[in-house]
Amino acid sequence: MLKIDNLVAGYGKVKVLHGISIHVPKGKTVALIGSNGAGKTTTLRALSGMLKPESGSILLGGKNITGLTSHDITRLGLAHSPEGRRVFSTLPVMDNLLLGAFPRLTGMRAKGDVDGDINRMFELFPRLKERKAQLAGTLSGGEQQMLAMARALMLNPDVLLLDEPSMGLSPRLVEEIFHTIERLKKANITMLLVEQFAAAALDVSDFGYVMENGHIRTSGEASALQNDPAVKAAYLGGGH
Amino acid sequence: MQILMQLIVSGISVGMIYGVIAFGYQLSFATSKTLNFGQGEALMLGALVGLTTVNFLIGNALGNFWAYVLMLPVVLAFGALQGSVVEWLGVRPAMRAKSEAGWIMATIALGIIFKNLAENIWGRDALKFPSPLPEASLSFGGIRIQPMEIVVVIGAIVLMVAVELFNRYSIYGKAVVATSNDRDAAGLMGINTNRIITFSYALSSMSAAFAGVLVAPVTLTGASMGAVLGLKAFAVAIIGGLSSGLGVVIGGLILGITETLTGYYISTGYKDVPGLLLLLIVLSLKPSGLFGKAAIKKV
Repeated sequence: MLKIDNLVAGYGKVKVLHGISIHVPKGKTVALIGSNGAGKTTTLRALSGMLKPESGSILLGGKNITGLTSHDITRLGLAHSPEGRRVFSTLPVMDNLLLGAFPRLTGMRAKGDVDGDINRMFELFPRLKERKAQLAGTLSGGEQQMLAMARALMLNPDVLLLDEPSMGLSPRLVEEIFHTIERLKKANITMLLVEQFAAAALDVSDFGYVMENGHIRTSGEASALQNDPAVKAAYLGGGH
Repeated sequence: MQILMQLIVSGISVGMIYGVIAFGYQLSFATSKTLNFGQGEALMLGALVGLTTVNFLIGNALGNFWAYVLMLPVVLAFGALQGSVVEWLGVRPAMRAKSEAGWIMATIALGIIFKNLAENIWGRDALKFPSPLPEASLSFGGIRIQPMEIVVVIGAIVLMVAVELFNRYSIYGKAVVATSNDRDAAGLMGINTNRIITFSYALSSMSAAFAGVLVAPVTLTGASMGAVLGLKAFAVAIIGGLSSGLGVVIGGLILGITETLTGYYISTGYKDVPGLLLLLIVLSLKPSGLFGKAAIKKV
């Protein structure tokens, strides 16, 4: 569904990604793990067009999306729940969700049942339903994370990119977020998940890629990576 | 007391004009963090295009009132087009080059070009704009109000309410607000933020052109009418805050009323001083404006 081949990207003269290749098969969840500064967030930014790749190719469902603007990439079906949540703080929860469906509401993507999808989001995140008229900026961190995920899902995406959904949340909320990811996986949503909680991420994923200094160091089935001594030592210690 | 009330009433209609122009500054600033320093010239062009249109329609045997009504859509469309041109020629290249100040010079330069253009087309003299309503003042308990002054206040409110309703209830309006909130995140929603910024410039100049044809029948029309209005409205936008719609209305009223009061009680020569003093005070005490929210810059 999403095929990244030899992707090179960076900020100005500083190269961050030195030719990485990742494959996210349809209906599967892929975890991208690695330490701080390895280039995980930069990878997602390059995929969704927030950052122009220097070279390499990105195929979404067979369509080449390399170098397109982020609005065009979104319209083609790639949703990105960005690092830091980036909800529209002066707008109510409901409007944030509607904006997630912007291409569907403006004829740039198959419309489907937008109202029904909003109700499904409220089922998935009951807290958002209670707060639907509240301004997104007044939500707690956990609620904002749920909103960011729900907003991305409102695209009816072919692929969902999740950047650090657990960042800055209490352990109980982290667990809740991972439960939600499991439910999305059961619903056959294709996901690329960037996480610092490597063990938890591999638990919910089919495949994993380990990133180090802008390179993919190793990859494979999630269960195999969990048992890889080198990966274990570097990323899976510390109780997670 | 009656004189005071009279001065306040006159100040209100002037203030609403400042408010509408300042509102235009806000529209483009919200989405692009840039604004058109040729806003006064957008107003002037709107008024002059309006004048030509009205004269043409009156020449075709329409009364002043219907000529004015039919002129409005022409001027609004012209304003939108003019704003798009400013964004396209002046702002977009500077933003693409990530220039911090390029758009300032570019919009000032475009303003000067527009002014020269207007001088060559319409001449340098002030022209009389046919009033759509009787010019005789109405009297309310001894306070005299020109019918056109009432139209100014109503027109200004209608414009701002219309934009607010559009932002609140249409998906495109929500896209504008989303772009103001977080441009990158708006792009991730599939919103073409370049187009939203062009649109907000179109709307911004449209507001100025509308203010131009509102004020023209009360004052006079001419190539130089925009400069002072644009500058004062900029002061209003700073006083009221570049992010608050209510702020520009209140800021406009404060400036309009202090001007008429100073003009009467002190000297018309000092009419412009209190507003600019107020600007300096606000800038030093509350730089985000009386009603502005302080920007929190995350590091």
